[in-house]
Amino acid sequence: MDSPRDLRRWRLPRGRHGLPRELVARSQRERLLAAVVRVTAARGYESTSVAAILDEAGVGRESFYELFEDKRDCMLVARGLLVENLVETVTVPYGAPGPWPQRVRKALAAGLDWFASDPAAAKVVMIEVVAVGPASRELFQADFRRFAKLLEEGLDPEEPPPALSQAPTLAVGTALARIYEEVAQGRARELPSVAPELTYEVLVPFLGEEAARAAASGEAATA
Amino acid sequence: MTQRQRIVDAMIDSCAEKSYAATTISDIVSRASISRTTFYKRFADKRACFDASVDHCLELLQATAAESHSEADSPPQALRNATEAVLELLAERPAIAQVVAGEALSVDPSIVERYRRLVLPAAEGLWRRAGKSPGNHADPRLAVGRLQVLLLDKMTSEGAAGLPGLLPEAVYLLMLPFAGHDEAVRQSRLAGGSAGGKDGDG
Repeated sequence: MDSPRDLRRWRLPRGRHGLPRELVARSQRERLLAAVVRVTAARGYESTSVAAILDEAGVGRESFYELFEDKRDCMLVARGLLVENLVETVTVPYGAPGPWPQRVRKALAAGLDWFASDPAAAKVVMIEVVAVGPASRELFQADFRRFAKLLEEGLDPEEPPPALSQAPTLAVGTALARIYEEVAQGRARELPSVAPELTYEVLVPFLGEEAARAAASGEAATA
Repeated sequence: MTQRQRIVDAMIDSCAEKSYAATTISDIVSRASISRTTFYKRFADKRACFDASVDHCLELLQATAAESHSEADSPPQALRNATEAVLELLAERPAIAQVVAGEALSVDPSIVERYRRLVLPAAEGLWRRAGKSPGNHADPRLAVGRLQVLLLDKMTSEGAAGLPGLLPEAVYLLMLPFAGHDEAVRQSRLAGGSAGGKDGDG
């Protein structure tokens, strides 16, 4: 099993070791995935060569082509794992008990922290993926729908449905738009500081201004 | 049609068909039935030609929005009309939709800032002309980015032809900063209705 966390944190000593073959292949795969993220974030997808990925990972060309079809394949596998990891990161606080607006606030904060903690991953997921071509739009769309569904499924069944049926897509669109923009301008690290205003913007379509403002400031824990 | 316009149209069509990245000068030259020399007399390079194409699309959208409403319309009415007219135009001209909502962003992510400078002062102006001050209910800058995300999603799922279906969402997003949530919901329902929107006109 791939561990996306490893993908983000992987650092290995290079050179000789006594590890079994299977483990070596797995570690090589993860090193390559981590490397494609770092190199792509630093140089841009177009300027990233397989050679540069190999160099960063300390893995041979032959092993690379045993594991991946090409640069694009490697990049898309890495992106997929990162998105899985992001989904997990926001699902945990969102699924925890508590009033719905507070769960949204915490999930959003966890998501923003995820982007801030690894600007290279943020750049690959939000920006560089576009360079793989039109296929990136379908990936983007699938992610967009997935987050909207996640948000909708977690709505409090005790509460009346939102005034607008489109509220989940409006909310997810808001978060993605803001994150995209900060990451595009190289400000991924500062994302946690936009949490209060972004929470407000995400909640408004569901709750209206007053309740959204209260929830964004962390109040209204009156359950 | 001027030669320059033919080149611009060729660029728009080619970008829509095979993306900006895959478009070559040869594609444009053959589509526009001009010589390579003529192309370089008009434009320094592919990017300059693309930028001119984006300018052309935006001018067209701006003119369409401006013609869609009259002084007599209330600000929400005018905003609704303008949004509807723009979405209809994009549906009729899918190549323009591809360029504005898709390719332009891939080529230059900061294009969103330019969209803002077009959309926001125009929307605010509707309120000011009516002698009202636009509210401050949500970040208007975010409205444009939100809209961009929804446009891209709709284009991917249904193609440009599906864009007019976004009218209720688009009206809500553009209305929210200036008029607030309740009025934005009301206008959104007027614009095409959403789930359970049984409250009426007026």
